[in-house]
Amino acid sequence: MKPVVFSTRFWRRAVQILCLSGFLWLFLQTEYRGHDSLPYPVSLLFRIDPLAALAAALAPGAFAWKILWPALVVLGLTALFGRFFCGWICPLGTTLDGCGKLCGRSKRRLGPGWRRSKYYLLLFMTVSAAAGVQLLGLFDPLSLFLRSLTLSLYPAFNLLANNTFDYLYDHRWPVVAPMADAVYPFSRDYLLAFHPPGFLLALLTLLIFVAILVLELVERRFWCRNLCPLGALLGLSARFATLRRQPAGACPDCRKCGTHCRTDAFGETGGGDQECVRCWDCREYCPDGRARFVWQVPRRGGAGIDLTRRGVLGSLALGALAAPVAATTPDMTRRNPFLLRPPGAVAEEEFLRRCIRCGECMKVCIGRALHPAFDEAGAVGLWSPLLVPRIGYCEYNCTLCGQVCPTGAIRLLSLVEKQRTVIGLAVIDRNRCLPYAAAEECLVCEEHCPTGKKAIVFTPANFPTRDGRPLKLPQVIKELCIGCGICETKCPLEGQSAILVVNEGETRRPRQLWS
Amino acid sequence: MDRREFVKTALQAALTTMAWGALPVVDLAALPTASGVETTLALRKGTDIPRLVHDALQALGGMSGVVRRGDVVVVKPNIGWDRTPELAANTHPLVVRSVVEQCLEAGAGKVLVFDNTCNDARRCYVQSGIQGALDSLGSDRVRLEHIDRRAFQEVDIKGGVALQRWPFYRPALEADRFINVPVAKHHSISRLTLGLKNMMGVIGGNRGVLHRHIDESLADINSVVHSDLTVIDATRMLMANGPQGGRLEDVQQANTLIASTDIVAADSCAATLFGLKPTDLPMLATAARRGLGVADLSRVRQV
Repeated sequence: MKPVVFSTRFWRRAVQILCLSGFLWLFLQTEYRGHDSLPYPVSLLFRIDPLAALAAALAPGAFAWKILWPALVVLGLTALFGRFFCGWICPLGTTLDGCGKLCGRSKRRLGPGWRRSKYYLLLFMTVSAAAGVQLLGLFDPLSLFLRSLTLSLYPAFNLLANNTFDYLYDHRWPVVAPMADAVYPFSRDYLLAFHPPGFLLALLTLLIFVAILVLELVERRFWCRNLCPLGALLGLSARFATLRRQPAGACPDCRKCGTHCRTDAFGETGGGDQECVRCWDCREYCPDGRARFVWQVPRRGGAGIDLTRRGVLGSLALGALAAPVAATTPDMTRRNPFLLRPPGAVAEEEFLRRCIRCGECMKVCIGRALHPAFDEAGAVGLWSPLLVPRIGYCEYNCTLCGQVCPTGAIRLLSLVEKQRTVIGLAVIDRNRCLPYAAAEECLVCEEHCPTGKKAIVFTPANFPTRDGRPLKLPQVIKELCIGCGICETKCPLEGQSAILVVNEGETRRPRQLWS
Repeated sequence: MDRREFVKTALQAALTTMAWGALPVVDLAALPTASGVETTLALRKGTDIPRLVHDALQALGGMSGVVRRGDVVVVKPNIGWDRTPELAANTHPLVVRSVVEQCLEAGAGKVLVFDNTCNDARRCYVQSGIQGALDSLGSDRVRLEHIDRRAFQEVDIKGGVALQRWPFYRPALEADRFINVPVAKHHSISRLTLGLKNMMGVIGGNRGVLHRHIDESLADINSVVHSDLTVIDATRMLMANGPQGGRLEDVQQANTLIASTDIVAADSCAATLFGLKPTDLPMLATAARRGLGVADLSRVRQV
């Protein structure tokens, strides 16, 4: 018997688990831990993401070589080794493999027509991104993975863990409670978020994530085979792979590849090397040891992808049409004055084209200010980060969101630059603000205003409080307010704050619109 | 100990803890009365902060007069803001460290340091320099911990005027000794924030609403958690744009430290550093009227 330790399946699984754990560890490090600069490259997952690089390359402005060069390395390695990324590294692929293993998966094979959809999707989104509407982030498996983790799974994990600890803190069950006490410091310091997280769109994000897992019951690696645009991009690169499988198709005397191959690359209707995720399982299930991977000069023009002309032209045309149609939508920043973006965000149009909806900025935000948009930024702004000041505020001395953004949608600002960057402007609702509306003393907005020379000041009112004391009225100084939103977060009124941040005067807005 | 005995003991311990948790006990009778006992106060000036703390406490009879051997002591500085020490928004880290050192020398069993911050707590602890200063002590008896949100406890405030019930931080309620170490600074509504106001850091809840009746609220809070010693850091004072500041031009070097076992006396004396009279600050008059201390500085003996 072959010792298990040396099987390629063992090594592949080990690498998959290692990569997944590594990405989860980086995810946990995406948090302020006492240093103004994050010590680890926490958004590594997106720096090696060719789809993120594609989105960034198609956006206006310079390509961030310094951040995104690893993505090009991955693309280059794929041209050598094929889609190893999907089989060995991709955290979503690993999750799907793991869930399939645990919960059962389908043995069905859908027709070869299905797997073409991912190429059409990629073509459509590439053309549309080049023309002005970037949707790559919505379907990027790495974005999808991290977004689900950030917005849905991790907050739920925190809630459950915290509730358990809270319960045992209040109910001193013998044995169990002391055990909880013993593990609490470790959990608090290394596993749980400092502020219990909670995000908008948590449920929607979870539904989509679960749907992708459930598709495993329709077909093994349904997402990877049929939908994943990153898989499609890597597949295009893998057409020229020099490490190729022999034999290139199923052998006439054995049909195992047809039933065993996880991406149906080498079955009778197999897609060939560009569908193969290099899991190397065939080297093990092949009864005669015929399946091998050998170095080979690719054929001229590479392996063919059986796309139909109609499909290609259709997706190109749709992509080209989506942008002008979306561009006719009236300006969202005017329609929604509460459309606020993190400090350092580039101008709205470029922002939407750069942001790949990965959720890193929302994870790292220490003020719990950033949340995913549903339609607040228009239909094409789904999952892009919004600053929602009633939920959380932008911490004055923090620059973390710019440090984690992998595509330059949020620029990396120095602290001095950041403190001068106007996110919006606070406006007082005099109908509700206590000193104005009820002649009651209140100072919370002024007290928390973080600019050195306060942007909220008091002027004496010409009427006293109801018990006859002199009253002061808060006022916002437009030139000093940077729209960090701490006033709106901390306003002690219930429900809506009496001071609201609107996107007036934001630094990122093009000058001709702001005059 | 056999298993039966172990389970029995564990259950007893659990029940005792539950019973304690269910009964918030505020012993108003234990509050010091202003009359009868002479109020003393030490004011020292100098640039050597550890020496300043030492001298001021020595003048009051030394830390051993406050802290007994084995006591659990809370040292409550102001760590409310994400500001560096020179900006005078938080208590100076050396003042905190020196006070903690004095507690350790007096034999404190445990010294807890915390604040319910306004900015992100992690940033405040680091930027204030207090985390670094206390880490440098290297003592396992010193605990600088973030507020444990589970440990707030609703307390009925007997005789409360503005507040009848409010969540308080249990370690502050349970400590044997409470040492209040505020920084003296400007505040736009109460004019100054000193020891009485620093106690906002031991309560939870929607603290913003307290400003509607700030004077009575502060008296209510201070009647629940009594400061056995108040050490006011006026080594540098934030004169404007308080309470969080952010500009060096608003900071004045005063090289002064005030210590007293009477929180109202300490605050009243600190007010004079800003050119104010205790009567200019309604919170002091209210606190004095409510029996929390002496605001009339002519009745306070400087030592």
